[in-house]
Amino acid sequence: MANLKDKYCIVGVGETEFSKNSGRTTKAMAVEAVRKAILDAGLKASDVDGMMSYQNGDSTFAPFVGPDLGIRLNFYMDVVGGGSSTEALIGLAIGAIEAGMCKTVALFRSMNGYTEFRIGGTGARSAAPVRGADLAQVPFGMRSAGQNFAMTFMRHMYDYGTTSEQVAHVKQAHSRHAVNNPKAFEKKRVTVQDVLHSRWICEPLHLLDCCLETDNATCVIVTSAERARDLKQRPAYIMGVAGRVSKPRVDYHWAHGPISRVAGYYAKDIVFGQAGITPEDVDITGSYDAFTFTTMLQLEEYGFCKKGEGGHYVSSGIIELGGKRPNNTSGGHLCEGYTHGMAMVVENVRQLRGTVDDTCPGAAEGKHTYDYSPGKCRQVKDPEITMNLGWAMPATGSALIMRK
Amino acid sequence: MPQPVTYRGMALIVPDNDTEWKEFYEHARAHKLVVRKCKACGLMRYPALHACPWCMDLGWTWQELSGKGTIYSYEIVHHAIQPGFKDATPYCTVLVEMDEQRGTPTPDESLRIIGNLVKPDLGFEDVAKAAIGKRVRVVFQDLADHMALPQFTLSGEPDQGRVWRLGG
Ligand SMILES: [Zn+2]
Repeated sequence: MANLKDKYCIVGVGETEFSKNSGRTTKAMAVEAVRKAILDAGLKASDVDGMMSYQNGDSTFAPFVGPDLGIRLNFYMDVVGGGSSTEALIGLAIGAIEAGMCKTVALFRSMNGYTEFRIGGTGARSAAPVRGADLAQVPFGMRSAGQNFAMTFMRHMYDYGTTSEQVAHVKQAHSRHAVNNPKAFEKKRVTVQDVLHSRWICEPLHLLDCCLETDNATCVIVTSAERARDLKQRPAYIMGVAGRVSKPRVDYHWAHGPISRVAGYYAKDIVFGQAGITPEDVDITGSYDAFTFTTMLQLEEYGFCKKGEGGHYVSSGIIELGGKRPNNTSGGHLCEGYTHGMAMVVENVRQLRGTVDDTCPGAAEGKHTYDYSPGKCRQVKDPEITMNLGWAMPATGSALIMRK
Repeated sequence: MPQPVTYRGMALIVPDNDTEWKEFYEHARAHKLVVRKCKACGLMRYPALHACPWCMDLGWTWQELSGKGTIYSYEIVHHAIQPGFKDATPYCTVLVEMDEQRGTPTPDESLRIIGNLVKPDLGFEDVAKAAIGKRVRVVFQDLADHMALPQFTLSGEPDQGRVWRLGG
């Protein structure tokens, strides 16, 4: 989208509480998140005429959310998908607007990810019938996301000498960020040793290498830069986007190695090419942390360090608030709440505005202390460019670059 | 084909029109590990794709493999998700690179097959014996008259390349 660079923006963001007991339907939560994003943008319901969502048979649909808010839709689409959908759908929203189908799109993900459909496969889904492509792995006790991804990290350890201790720094860093995020579900500082001493789930994954499971809805609103000019917030301009870019043999990516390579290998040229920047220009990353190591794999594959040096990169302090390029400043999926990627885009939009919701008294007006000690500030000082690295699995990923 | 076949609490469903899995499992029940081989370019693929991913040809034959390979990666499940695996933890799942067609047609590509690391009698192997680089051979777990699962057991052959295991 070289010719569309900076022509579309995210103008509104919103979310519900992150909890393990929403006590509500996904529809109720989606309505709240979309409403908050509309109000955040300074839009009226009648200004929103497009709606998109993603889900895995575990959520409500756009046509059941718009009407609650009095929205008449000129376009809606609900797609199947989890991680990596956020960035992909932002790109599709741009396409829908560019095609003249609608003018402003609200994009949501609503999930009772703890009380109804647990993503790890625990509960009702654990005993689901196995057929088709699943026959190649599920009969061998390989069903959950952790089980699906673990062999990739194990091979990365073999290929590059990456260690459990190195990726445990991701949890440590994100936990420190979450402590400065009043809405984070888990506001507790966790150390590298805590991770290493937590029980094994699926070697090489410890319990604390795995993200949270939570109930929540999240929303972002996409519109044209032209429309964004008279809205309430400073727009987050979209410089580049890549959606669900995949490795060869995405059906069974084990066939096409190296399996320690992930989809960012193919996505990076698309998204950096559109944006006309390099990793060095990025101030904040939001690298999908379904697990500690997914953050690491993507950061190295997109070129924030050399291939194979991701373990060093994530344990060097770079990814922490106060470091050169903080990652998931909200605490991410490991500590804030599990949103299938949306909240990481929400956080980067707020960072670009300069108004992240920490405890600084002037946070809403962009007055921050930049004191990153526990319970204090989490606003990065004057960030210009952020990047989101969305992850569906080792073989599929998405990316989004935004600027202020 | 009678179905579903139940294994460790899972209903494995292979409809008659799913000929790629149906025939794969029938061969496995005859204790043959087979993959589809392209009639045009001769390359083999797993699982049984309908067309050749290298030349798009639709012609294929079943080709039996030696069943020998090397552990390319593995994982050890301590917290089982599926109810039928709860009493089996810790168990090891392996990604086996088969001897045939290694690094072909590009260095990154190989025939790699997922299974459990089992003892020759099909009980789960001691997970401490799992390591990348260890040699394995296929063994077949009979589930029904028309269906068996390929599994892998340590073959005792000399290791291939660098052997490594987590914490080892
Ligand atoms: Zn061929």
